[in-house]
Amino acid sequence: MKEKDHEIVFKHTGYRREDFSVCVGCKICASVCTVNDLDIAVNPQELLLRLFLGQEIGKEDPLVRYCTSCYRCAGACPWKIRIPEVVRAVKESLGMEALFEKAFKKSLNIWGRVYEPFVVVMAAPDLLKGGYIKHMPKWMEYAGFHLPHKVKRLKPLNASEGLDPSEKGRS
Amino acid sequence: MEYGYYPGCSLTGSAKKLDRGVRRICEKLGHSLTEIPDWNCCGALEYGDRNELLSISGENLRKARGMCKEIVVPCPACYKNLKDADPDRSFNILSPLELLNPGNLSQIGQKRDLKGKVFFPYYGCLLMRPEGSAIRNKNIMEDAISAFGGDIDGEKMRDRCCGGNQLFLNKWATEKLSNLILSRSRGTVVVFCPFCHMAMKTFAVGRKVIYLTDLLLYVMGENNSL
Ligand code: SF4
Ligand code: SF4
Repeated sequence: MKEKDHEIVFKHTGYRREDFSVCVGCKICASVCTVNDLDIAVNPQELLLRLFLGQEIGKEDPLVRYCTSCYRCAGACPWKIRIPEVVRAVKESLGMEALFEKAFKKSLNIWGRVYEPFVVVMAAPDLLKGGYIKHMPKWMEYAGFHLPHKVKRLKPLNASEGLDPSEKGRS
Repeated sequence: MEYGYYPGCSLTGSAKKLDRGVRRICEKLGHSLTEIPDWNCCGALEYGDRNELLSISGENLRKARGMCKEIVVPCPACYKNLKDADPDRSFNILSPLELLNPGNLSQIGQKRDLKGKVFFPYYGCLLMRPEGSAIRNKNIMEDAISAFGGDIDGEKMRDRCCGGNQLFLNKWATEKLSNLILSRSRGTVVVFCPFCHMAMKTFAVGRKVIYLTDLLLYVMGENNSL
């Protein structure tokens, strides 16, 4: 992701570029990060620094790929920077949404609620490739038949109306 | 007490069991739950656009306006999003865990005890973090298990992340994170979050994974086995 695309991240998170200048580089976020258990190269602080300096961010960054949205970093950061939201915004602007995430949002657009059977069917190609079949016996308790429920009043999700601009960036 | 109730998508699908348990236990404690009419998804953890996520969650609060001031929200992701969508705290958003305390556990009508059984109370992430939207009574699962005579294990792992939201994206990551937690704890895994339930259930070998509500229903004599 090049510098011009960083604007999407700022727009999505409500942060401004200069907001990341408060990061003191203490790396507490990196030391508590869950992705640490998966890849020692993770470093949320570096991601923020790159956004601040306008440097390129790659799709291969382990943090961007595997962040679990666990909020350990945000809880431990002295500035309470909402790092998982930044990571999600980066992922979205890099177009890294997986089939499962797309199916989730599509379900929300159609019904306003997530209809799980629809998400599973839409994401089936990924699920079949990913070796999920062997877990099916354990997942039997989750299966059940019900019809989707359509929410009546939800505005189309991409209508930008919603939050008061003054509320943006509040945590 | 009268509460508004926001079940959220998973409690009407894969986590129906948790929904039933929460409703039953609230009934036992003398609370009445009224579902927010025509509620929509809270946005879960899927949205990169915070404004969009908050407006989806906020829509639920608009629907609850005038109907209730206190809303019970079982799913930890919904709980966090609804709290985030209400920065002025015009609603009191509660996890069912916050309706429990060591004092009122006796009101659920104990018929069985948990003596000789070992449990691993596992909270995961969003009930415990970040501080601004976490539950207040962070020991309630332990309190409940010990109140009925059960033993506790795996304290250090209780708020590690199971990687549940990566289960359908990078399964190996969830497998590794969940196995780490499972390998450092013993006994029946007691969870409250639908994500954790699915991740733990998928990777736990020879261990039971139950919701806290299943445990309470067992103690009340309504679930025949754990
Ligand atoms: S939310 Fe993401 S970046 Fe933060 S600690 Fe968890 S995995 Fe790491
Ligand atoms: S914990 Fe916060 S202040 Fe410290 S390096 Fe990470 S983002 Fe920066």
